Amino acid sequence: MPPARVVRLAPAKIAALGCALVLSLVAPCLAETNPASPEEAALRSDATKTFKEHVEPFVKNYCTKCHGGGRAKANINLEVDLKDPGRGTAFVHWKKAVANVKVHDMPPEDAARQPTEEERLQFIGWIGKLKHLSPRNPGPFVMRRLSKVEYANTLQDLYGVNPSIADRLPEEVVGEGYLNSISPLQSELFLEIANEVVGQIVAPERKAPTTVQKRLFGRKPPEGTDLRNAARQVARSLARDAYRRPPTEAELDVLVDVFDLARGKELDYTASLGWMLKAVLVSPQFLFIAPAGEAEPNERTVRLDDHHLAARLSYLLWSAPPDAELSALADKGELHQPRTLRAQTKRLLLHPRARALFDGFGAQWLRVNDLEHQVFDPKLFPGMTPALRVAMMNEARLFFESLVHKNDRAIRLVDSDYTFLNEPLAELYGLGSSVKGPRMRRVRLENPNRGGILGMPATLAATSFPTRTSPVRRGVWVLEQILGEHVPPPLPDIPQLDAQEPNHVKGLTLRQRTELHTKNPVCANCHQTLDPIGFGLENFDAVGRWRDRNEAGIAIDSAGKLPTGAAFSNPAELKRLLAGRESDLARNLTERFMAYALGRPLEGYDEVVIDQLMTRIAADQYRVRTILTEVIASYLFTHRRIEK
Amino acid sequence: MNPLNTPSTVDRRTFLKGVGVSLALPFFDSIGWAAGPHSAKPPVRLAFMYMPHGVIMDQFWPKTQEEFLHSPPPILQSLKPIINQCLMMKGISGVPTAPFGGAPHALELSTWLTARLPDPDSRDRISISISADQIMANYVGAQTLLPSLELATMPQTWKENQEGLHEGYYNHCSFRSPTQPVPAETDPRNVLNRLFGKRGKEGKVTQTNPLDRQMLDRVLGGARDLRRTLGRGDQQKLDEYLDSVRSVERRIAAIETRQQQAALEKNGVAPSKRHANDSAPIEVKIPEGDKRSEYMQVMCDLTILAFQTDTTRVSTYISSRPNGASYPELGFSDQHHSQTHYGSDQEMIRKVAAINKLNVDQFAYMVTKMNGLKEGDGTLLDHSIMMWGSGLEDGDQHRRENLPFIIAGKGGGSLRTGRFLSNVRGNQGDLLSTLLSCAGVPLDRPIGIATQQITDMKA
Repeated sequence: MPPARVVRLAPAKIAALGCALVLSLVAPCLAETNPASPEEAALRSDATKTFKEHVEPFVKNYCTKCHGGGRAKANINLEVDLKDPGRGTAFVHWKKAVANVKVHDMPPEDAARQPTEEERLQFIGWIGKLKHLSPRNPGPFVMRRLSKVEYANTLQDLYGVNPSIADRLPEEVVGEGYLNSISPLQSELFLEIANEVVGQIVAPERKAPTTVQKRLFGRKPPEGTDLRNAARQVARSLARDAYRRPPTEAELDVLVDVFDLARGKELDYTASLGWMLKAVLVSPQFLFIAPAGEAEPNERTVRLDDHHLAARLSYLLWSAPPDAELSALADKGELHQPRTLRAQTKRLLLHPRARALFDGFGAQWLRVNDLEHQVFDPKLFPGMTPALRVAMMNEARLFFESLVHKNDRAIRLVDSDYTFLNEPLAELYGLGSSVKGPRMRRVRLENPNRGGILGMPATLAATSFPTRTSPVRRGVWVLEQILGEHVPPPLPDIPQLDAQEPNHVKGLTLRQRTELHTKNPVCANCHQTLDPIGFGLENFDAVGRWRDRNEAGIAIDSAGKLPTGAAFSNPAELKRLLAGRESDLARNLTERFMAYALGRPLEGYDEVVIDQLMTRIAADQYRVRTILTEVIASYLFTHRRIEK
Repeated sequence: MNPLNTPSTVDRRTFLKGVGVSLALPFFDSIGWAAGPHSAKPPVRLAFMYMPHGVIMDQFWPKTQEEFLHSPPPILQSLKPIINQCLMMKGISGVPTAPFGGAPHALELSTWLTARLPDPDSRDRISISISADQIMANYVGAQTLLPSLELATMPQTWKENQEGLHEGYYNHCSFRSPTQPVPAETDPRNVLNRLFGKRGKEGKVTQTNPLDRQMLDRVLGGARDLRRTLGRGDQQKLDEYLDSVRSVERRIAAIETRQQQAALEKNGVAPSKRHANDSAPIEVKIPEGDKRSEYMQVMCDLTILAFQTDTTRVSTYISSRPNGASYPELGFSDQHHSQTHYGSDQEMIRKVAAINKLNVDQFAYMVTKMNGLKEGDGTLLDHSIMMWGSGLEDGDQHRRENLPFIIAGKGGGSLRTGRFLSNVRGNQGDLLSTLLSCAGVPLDRPIGIATQQITDMKA
């Protein structure tokens, strides 16, 4: 383990290079989605040159003796990586190598040859150019299974069933950490649920058909009609909706086969259509958001077909299948046109169904998604009722939605003069009885300590322990979730001060105890950055209520300094300092939304694309809806790579 | 009656009672083992029960064999009545964590049954190896309704990715393949449904329809056509789908076989595989409160019932996830994880010991119950291998030199219990390999870092 690790404190970092090419880009709205630009090629050739001139000699001189050949140490063979330095695995190795060289862990002390400090710095400095080595590509793509929520919404939209029908499926993480696997348990449940859906829709023989049944199956064909033909027509429309694209004839053959199978068991026409529907509901074309047909055999990267794009877009913003308008645009093959795609994105984002975006993305990003189940000591926080928790979540959601609707600047996330409250929440805010009743409504805030996600009960509570606040967690939350910095985990085998009970270090205030972190040089490296931020928020207790004194009656001291030297003396001032980091904040939101939209972590060429998006986004003052729209219109979201 | 579902009205005896719930068991008549023709011996069952964050060591490890048998340490107290059925071995080390030293809790769970580290080069996705329970499921799973059972107390949705490791490593210990974690069931009612069929409105058990198998067959055919049009990554994804649907088909086939066997037995055509004096299946009560111990007990009961009825032969229970758990019923609102960084704080050590004890108590509840259930020439416990353990030795320092494990059950005579082996010198992979071998599973390669079997454990 490296003896000390450094927090990346300037994620403006890599973007600096990207800034060079800012001005040359065309007006955002009309441009093709991220065409490969000459600037991009220039950066790539520069990165390749640097690699050849500085990196390769360094690696050959100091690394490959151990990390090369047949028995490369730690399974890291840099000789192989030198041959194809832009490859994914090589990427991981380069990053690791730079981190180790930076903290003098590598080459090891006892190695005969040691680089000069200058060589070391050159090697480290090169990491910023690393991304330019990766060839233009939209990253790994694997078709995605519908998540539990998406599956439930799809059944509701298409068949009018109650989405709770899917409650029995296992809970899952969505977005970046989505597992996208399918187990026997899930398949059993998909079959069981399909059974129930059909059972609810299809009325028994000699009973009046249900409304949904009439819509899906049409009228019963008159005597003498070719029933297989009729069934094929029904299959065509069932599959169009369920597969989110027109089915192929081969796919219809399968469904008609199932119809025949049921007929063979002496089931009547309607019941046999029911079996066909059941087959649709357990088919991979329904359960997965999959590309339509065959791609060109030699193409490695293709644009998503319009139907696939419609589904990807709709599930991203609504967690639901494409509606009639999107489907029609996909049928016409127009959706991928940048102007249309942006307009549809706007339409979907302004629709009430876009609350799914907060439930899926927003809540996860702000880390408030577990608030409902988070444990708070009932003796210390008796007011933390289910109703209050719901109100807290609603506040965060309404605030997020409001920024999207008004296309506010990203800076408003941390610095805003309004929020959404109901009576219990207003009480928590100390606004007395100015707000009545359980309905959430927009409220203007006079108190500069509030307003924005830093002074919001949902996020303040989500970063607390059951019995008290955690300045460390809050500091980490601000750095990672808001500013997008990477905070390394605590070194192994070091007890966490923050987890200790008050009586362990009796007589010390929380600040004094936490300041022990900065006495130990191993801990200090990171904690001197994150602790002050957390302490800046100490006036908010573990559920976000304002306090001037802590549990023990000692006055809260929320003054501190950022590593930049900028000082603050209360949450309002801290907020204002962070608001000065708008570009970092916006980049972080862009990266997080991109990772959520792609369902994978970002790597390699992704960073190049993000750089390009940031110039467009900056040109529009880092507006929130612009950020979401640029991600959707990007090369990464609209293309996929095919592994042959 | 809905023509599409065929509610089964198989003879049933209601023996599952919940609070206001009673559940019928359609296969009751044929609860026997689907054993091979030459064997009337009950099969060996294998279960794993996991607790995170290690134990308070001086309250867990016995000093001597004598102490183990006659005055076990405080955390093991509840095992005293059946200590002769238990086996403990000290000296099992965990997988070395480098280069993931900063992610002890993701590793303690994900390496627990794999005995292998995630692949450092693709740490941001799931890439580890098949876990011991799934190796067993592959070998014996086809003989039962469910290849394996996976249970958890908490949803597998913890989001944390230290050292760049995928979130899935914080939530899963069972892996069907190197890239496929197996999700666990957290709702006892769903587990009951899965084991014994879902009850319809009138309390009738709705069975999967035999026609389902033929329908799935057609769908699989179509899926294979689709597969040909896809790129490699998508093909692999579709293979997971095909594999899971085939498993559903097998389950339906197994249900049919059982129903036929039941009919034959009922008409006296075929002899029952059950011994006359075998205990009746246990009752399962679904608790209404939110007490963790009661919840754990019902999951333990479901494991017993699944084993007793030979619905599955291998089961995994993540009784608590690393991070996010607390034990209000012990009067602690702090999280388990926070408590385990106790340093020298005696109060925190006391709390962690109490949490350890609560966990071992539930394991003791399960194996004691199994020891009271007659089966064949012995008890259900005699034919089982039940392992309780943690992925860390202690939660404070994240040590992994002497991982805490308790084995109960004789594994059909393959294990010699009633012993404390104080110095075994093996690793987690060795232990898992040994247990699988005792369960009769031939291994074509070592599990994870295994280099040997721990022959001392065997009978």
